[in-house]
Amino acid sequence: MNFNSKCVGLILLLFFLKPAIANSQDESTDIIEKILDMISRDPSDNQDYSNIAERLNFYKKNPIDLNAATSEQLKELVFLSPIQIKEILDHRVKSGFFIDVLELQSIGSLDSESASLLLNFVRVGLPSQLQDLTVKKLLQKAEHDLILRVGQVLEGQAGFTVSTNAEEANYQGSALRVLTRYRYNYSNTLAASINMEKDAGEQFFNKIYKRGFDFYSGNISFRGSGLLKKIVVGDYALQFGQGLAMWSGSGFGKGAGISTIAKQDFGLKPYSSVNESMFLRGASGTFNYRKISFTPFMSRKKIDASLTEQGEEVSSLNISGLHRTKSEIENKERLSSTIYGANIQFNSKNLNIGLTTYQTQFSLPFSIGKSLYEQYDFRGSSLTNMGIHYDYNFKNTYFFGETAHSLTSGYALINGIMSSLSPRVSLVLLHRQYAKNYHSFFNQSVAEASNAVNESGFYSALALKFDSKWDLFTYSDFFRFPWLKFRVDGPSSGYEILAQMNYRMNKKLKLSGRFKQQVREENPEDFNLGSGLETVDKQNYRFEISYSINDRFSLRNRAEIVRYQKGSAKYELGFLNYQDIIYKPLSSKLSGNMRFGIFDTESFNSRIYAYENDVLYSYSVPAYQGRGIRFYVNGRYTLVRGFDIWLRYSLTSYYGQQTVGSGDDLINGNKRSDLRLQIRYQF
Amino acid sequence: MRYICLIFILLQTVVTAQINPGPRSLAMGAAGVVLKDVWSLQHNPAGIASINRPIFALGYERHFSDQELSTQKAVFAIPFKQHVFGLSFQRYGFNEYSEQTAGIAYSRNFSGALALSIAFKHHQLSVSQYGSANAISVDAGMHYRLNDRIWIGTHISNPGRSTYKELSGSIIPVSLAFGVSFEFSDKVLIISDIHKILNAGINTKLGIEYTLVNWFALRGGISANPFKQYAGFGLNYQRFALDVAISSHLNLGYSPNLAFSYEF
Repeated sequence: MNFNSKCVGLILLLFFLKPAIANSQDESTDIIEKILDMISRDPSDNQDYSNIAERLNFYKKNPIDLNAATSEQLKELVFLSPIQIKEILDHRVKSGFFIDVLELQSIGSLDSESASLLLNFVRVGLPSQLQDLTVKKLLQKAEHDLILRVGQVLEGQAGFTVSTNAEEANYQGSALRVLTRYRYNYSNTLAASINMEKDAGEQFFNKIYKRGFDFYSGNISFRGSGLLKKIVVGDYALQFGQGLAMWSGSGFGKGAGISTIAKQDFGLKPYSSVNESMFLRGASGTFNYRKISFTPFMSRKKIDASLTEQGEEVSSLNISGLHRTKSEIENKERLSSTIYGANIQFNSKNLNIGLTTYQTQFSLPFSIGKSLYEQYDFRGSSLTNMGIHYDYNFKNTYFFGETAHSLTSGYALINGIMSSLSPRVSLVLLHRQYAKNYHSFFNQSVAEASNAVNESGFYSALALKFDSKWDLFTYSDFFRFPWLKFRVDGPSSGYEILAQMNYRMNKKLKLSGRFKQQVREENPEDFNLGSGLETVDKQNYRFEISYSINDRFSLRNRAEIVRYQKGSAKYELGFLNYQDIIYKPLSSKLSGNMRFGIFDTESFNSRIYAYENDVLYSYSVPAYQGRGIRFYVNGRYTLVRGFDIWLRYSLTSYYGQQTVGSGDDLINGNKRSDLRLQIRYQF
Repeated sequence: MRYICLIFILLQTVVTAQINPGPRSLAMGAAGVVLKDVWSLQHNPAGIASINRPIFALGYERHFSDQELSTQKAVFAIPFKQHVFGLSFQRYGFNEYSEQTAGIAYSRNFSGALALSIAFKHHQLSVSQYGSANAISVDAGMHYRLNDRIWIGTHISNPGRSTYKELSGSIIPVSLAFGVSFEFSDKVLIISDIHKILNAGINTKLGIEYTLVNWFALRGGISANPFKQYAGFGLNYQRFALDVAISSHLNLGYSPNLAFSYEF
């Protein structure tokens, strides 16, 4: 097709499509929050969203040019499925360059939700001017981005006060939280990043503590276009295949969308998060020769661990990154780990195959846990992992999988199919089988448990698009744990069902309803040998409505009910209802949002998680538990171009409680409030 | 043998096999209120209203891969213009225990958009050393076309609450099911049922049929309560058809099901 005839066709096409796509573009809610809400499954597993938020924000500011986009870039948007990515790229081959972003509408597998999200992150550059423009623009300047964030819980907590029979407070540092981060980017080839963090209770620039911050992380990275594709010196993350053998950083699994179930690996990435454990420290590079890419890596770092009484063996790793109390400080960096290995991949248009091998060595051996359920845990001081992963596109179907082995112990397998049966129907089937003695310290594969070990399961999902207004996403997952688990003293099984219906009436109003049920087995409260396991049934019912009042204000309401029942005991109910007000004028120095919520849950078991807006790059998903109200207000003000200030205040006020929290976090009173300030300077 | 009895005691409602769907429905999560084939005689006789030629089918299901516990069934339907008659026979159980059902159904097609049906079933339950019991129940069903792509259906089973007089405790379930089918394309059919049995929970079912080529279709489905996963396929060759399904129960394992049909 020549360029002119395509133009004419396109104009005609746009003429008809315009109203439809205008409808589908979402203006009422915060896009990034929505994406995170879609991909995250169970917020309790403490995923780190900040690096994804950072990446999405980057592409929102520097939209990807559809005519130059690589599959790698599109993968980074997290919410696109491999089939959608392939069709977007194929569109360029079949129909020539994109002339307007609205052409995305004609891509079959791209549902209206994903299309409207994607519009926020892409643009169309004209093919002729494309290259000079971007290169010129990028060469013109180096970008610097500096952020300082401080925050504190305003009420006094037990850990910071000196109790009557002690000489000093349990927490060695102040209640202040401090984060400093700096990013440098030069023409998208050279970049540097530094993160420095102090958590509440950690020491900070005092006479005894010469380090200053508690946690430092940084790297320098280079992206090339020739033989040397990427190189990172410092802290980096590696993501290969389906995350069985090597996946550092967050790996999402079962979410309320189809995109996260098939993992889309990025290979080597500079590490930018403040999670203090899931990364590698050293150097790595990716070399490209024709269809082969090769990524060797080397890492050496100190990690936190609790040792056995004699101090000769490791009893557990501490991954929280908190160093507040004497014992936490004592366990800090007690163990050193050395990791080296490589990944080699063959990449062609439809087929990718890769092999990952690496060895992990610890300075001290791991001891065997006393409990029966720990029988098959890792022991010793060295571990070799191998994994073979593949993905293959055939017509409307995407096949993917990985087989991994930890040498001298178990195997783990995952295999899946994702197919768009029709432009409106997508199906995913995923089978997994992880041995009870499969070990990997960088294991983020799809699993019901927190790690891909001791589990087999079958997941199936269906995404239906009835018309441009109605769509339904549903999945079911059956799982079995052949060996015992913590608080599950017997082989157990369970299942999970989710169904979510969305209705977008017009660009201003959107409704959604979600049902989720998780059934699994657990020890009864009064467990003794031979008493068997009890079934735990947890059901969530959620209803959400979001609508924009005008081009400045939009509102969002959510009501959620949880029903939790264990064995034959009486069920427990939890309830959460909140109102969000979002103020986002098109051009103003001030923007912000606030929430007022009421929650009433009978117990810890019926707690409810919900997203909260926060200062830029920071996302929190607290549990609402007990009875009370929750309020926050979060504002941003642009002083001058390139200089922004955020301020957030949040308050939880409990009803009928004398204290809040427990242990070192205990507060006398019925309130917990938090203040956070963030300054960003871009130059 | 003991094992089977145990299953019976523990899972009476699961095993009681009054509605033993055909493999096509079973592969699609046992949802079948709106399906239209000869096996509709088992789950909503309104589904035979669109049959154009006489058709005969034989089916066999083994329960939880057990050697003894099985269902054998045969169905036959014959159309006279808009009037379609059907016969169904089913035997379920093992040597010492069996449930036999024979049914006759009448279904009428109104202008292609509405079908109504009524069926009478004779049930016989025999337990060795205890003797046998008999009962007669009534079923009624409906299909309605909302538009080119969407059908809805209803099926009421045993609304008169008839029971086996001779054997107290053995029941013929009273149930009400609603179903909807949505044809996304020539190749993709999605169906869903909501099924309520008196004195038991509500079950929601979801199924999909993907017709890869005109002689071969893949199917899959789930049901929520009890939680089960299903899969199957269908093959057509001239007037013959073979359908195979397998269902998987959380604790009890797999149940294979297959059927042949011939169109005259």
